Amino acid sequence: MKASRLLAALLTCAACSKDIRSLEDLAPSSPAAADASAGEWQMIVLSGPTQFTVPPPSPVDSAAYQAELASIRNAQASLTDEQREAIDYWSGGGVLRWNQILRELVARYNLPPAPRANDTYVFPDPDNPFADPQFPFANPPYAARAYSYVTVAQFEALKVAWFYKHQYGRPSPAQVDGSIQSLMPATNVPAYPSEDAVLSGVSTELLRLLFPASVEEITRRAADERNAALLSGRAAASDIAAGLALGRAVAAAFVARAATDGMRAAAGTPAQWQALANAAAARGEVPWTSLEWPPRPPMLPNFGQVRAWMMTPADVVRERPGPPPSTSSAQMAQELQEVRETVDHLTSGHLAIAQFWNDGVSTYTPPGHWNDIATEHVGAARMSEVRAARAFALLNMAMHDAGVACWEAKFYYFNPRPSQLDPAIKTQIGLPNFPSYTSGHSTFSTAAAVVLGHLFPDSAAEFDRMKDEAAISRLYGGIHYRSDIETGKEHGRRIGAYTVRFARQDGAE
Amino acid sequence: MPSVRTTWTWQALVALGLLASFTVQVQAQTIEDGVMMPGKNLCTGFLYAHDSWDEYWEGTLKRVNGNIGTITTESLSWVGNYGVTNRLNVIAMLPHVWTEASQGPLHGMSGFQDLTLAAKYSLLETDFTRRGALKAILVAAASVPLGDYTPDFYPLSIGSASRRFASRLTVDFQAQRGWFLTGSAAYTFRDTVTLDRPAYFTDGQLFLSDQVAMPDVFDYTVSAGYRKEGLMIPVAFSQQTTLGGGDIRRQDMPFVSNRMDFSKLDALVMYTIPKAKDLALRVAGTYTVSGRNVGQATTLTAGLLYTFHF
Repeated sequence: MKASRLLAALLTCAACSKDIRSLEDLAPSSPAAADASAGEWQMIVLSGPTQFTVPPPSPVDSAAYQAELASIRNAQASLTDEQREAIDYWSGGGVLRWNQILRELVARYNLPPAPRANDTYVFPDPDNPFADPQFPFANPPYAARAYSYVTVAQFEALKVAWFYKHQYGRPSPAQVDGSIQSLMPATNVPAYPSEDAVLSGVSTELLRLLFPASVEEITRRAADERNAALLSGRAAASDIAAGLALGRAVAAAFVARAATDGMRAAAGTPAQWQALANAAAARGEVPWTSLEWPPRPPMLPNFGQVRAWMMTPADVVRERPGPPPSTSSAQMAQELQEVRETVDHLTSGHLAIAQFWNDGVSTYTPPGHWNDIATEHVGAARMSEVRAARAFALLNMAMHDAGVACWEAKFYYFNPRPSQLDPAIKTQIGLPNFPSYTSGHSTFSTAAAVVLGHLFPDSAAEFDRMKDEAAISRLYGGIHYRSDIETGKEHGRRIGAYTVRFARQDGAE
Repeated sequence: MPSVRTTWTWQALVALGLLASFTVQVQAQTIEDGVMMPGKNLCTGFLYAHDSWDEYWEGTLKRVNGNIGTITTESLSWVGNYGVTNRLNVIAMLPHVWTEASQGPLHGMSGFQDLTLAAKYSLLETDFTRRGALKAILVAAASVPLGDYTPDFYPLSIGSASRRFASRLTVDFQAQRGWFLTGSAAYTFRDTVTLDRPAYFTDGQLFLSDQVAMPDVFDYTVSAGYRKEGLMIPVAFSQQTTLGGGDIRRQDMPFVSNRMDFSKLDALVMYTIPKAKDLALRVAGTYTVSGRNVGQATTLTAGLLYTFHF
């Protein structure tokens, strides 16, 4: 048996492929429905499409437009391989591609600051993003917020674009002029303003705010997207200019919201951290402490006060779960023992589950994992760009709200991790540097599964199974008690329901 | 860090080789050394290794990390090599590995690592000047991970879980008065590794895949020393260069496909038991002089091997 495996290794290794596909295959496909009424769907942050002015386009028989067509014809006559590759890449869908780019940015920036020689930590500085530590530390709360800002802004911008597209009804260059090839899948959506340019503009502005050190790469990708739209015969220069301006204008509303949503104060101060510990001790509980060395300040203790999308601050407090088992209770002792026995007798199957859902440092985080999962379903459903954007916006609003509400509970109770109460408990995955109760994975994942189950009811059972696995993976890893997980799931279910209530009446269903 | 596990097989086989080469009658060998085991002889036994480090290179930055303290790796390996003929030897090895961090909450790991099988063929053996003999040897070695240990928990993973194939050329000069000089170099092909997760970030890029391309490895060793009768005191210098892979980023965890490079010095004292000349004892120490994405490890090895004559 072993010998045959060795022989197989010998024979096949020479042919080992070193090419690993880095991205999901996003097959170009035409949307099943054009969603012509999307301009009337309910807004989330904006007041409505007429909040922005998109001037009427010049007629298709005007000299200016004909000149634009001529330049497309010329460009198509001598497309480079690089240009063809860019067209193929963006044919996968702008919403899906930007989601991939966003996941990559999160993974790139998901690294905690290293300690200084004097055993202190310096916080990442948005005004000095290239320094060590780099800005941002895209940890799960930061990432949840980032995914939500980008996807909600894209969704709102596309709704405005759809409104004007159908108001003006200008066809695409390939439809106007038979000598221009259509090199991207037909969308049956009017071309002015260009949805690809809207996405490039709104995404660039949000991403450069969230990941300022990557502005060069973000700007280059956005330009590639616009070029691909032009060269493919989908949009003329004026379609693109109007789309870019609209995308940027919509983004400004979200940039302004982000400046005042409470994130700046999320890290808190040493006095606040001490007050949290004192409050837990005053309730007779063992307060959470950092198990990192040197001890690291807790991760974004005031993230629970950051503005949510579908919940008011009062909703967040009202939905807060009841207290965890007391750190001195018999139930806690029993749950602690369960964690210890689990990590010390972990099967390889359970370890694989712990690793599958770990989503720790250097990854796209748990919200990114659910965007990854959603991508497959959104791609298979052949959605219009605006409907694809809606799916990601709903998913990420629910996960951001889950992050806010979970963090509010975590820092309200300030409950210790299993390894703090029992140092003999060694973890099978990295130990997060924030309080235990409730489990963030359980809350994020259940909120995500609730929303995805609503959007893709045929797969609801699968999402449900996945969220259960994501949740219990934290017990397998040795970083959560069972009550963190069970309560987190229940909390996440209630939070997800806020977004589903919105989805039921926004006019898209 | 990684160095230990990725090169463990290599280390132990060096150890075995040095040991066997010293036993006067058996002359027998391993993957790197310049000696062949005579036909119809089997040299087998166990090697224990204790490897530890507290400083490591995060990329090229040397540091300590209070979240792991000292990483200790222990291993017990069964080794065997059989002389099919005087010119063809077959070598096998299987380590069991235990890892542990002295500080922080991370759980250690343990298990059987990789089974290695090698065929060693003597190309050439000829007098070289009047003072000694020159040998040239080719080795083909394949390693297969046993069990399903995870390669996704560096620095505590017990190995890279990658199937490997190495081709090696060794040249050895043995002087009649006992001095010897051996040079050995190998190129190791490494197969793709499968993780238990759907995405990972390394070398500046997000991969939406559970498959990790492993860069190939080049290594060489130069050893020199004295071997005669029951005593052997050689020293060796070895260097591993990984032909690709990303650095560990600032404050990141190591990753299985990182560019793991190192240079090591090895010193050895060997002794045969006078009343049992088929039984050999060996104690060796190895020190990592420089590295990249590996721990600055100190390794102590002790082995007991016995040769059977059929």
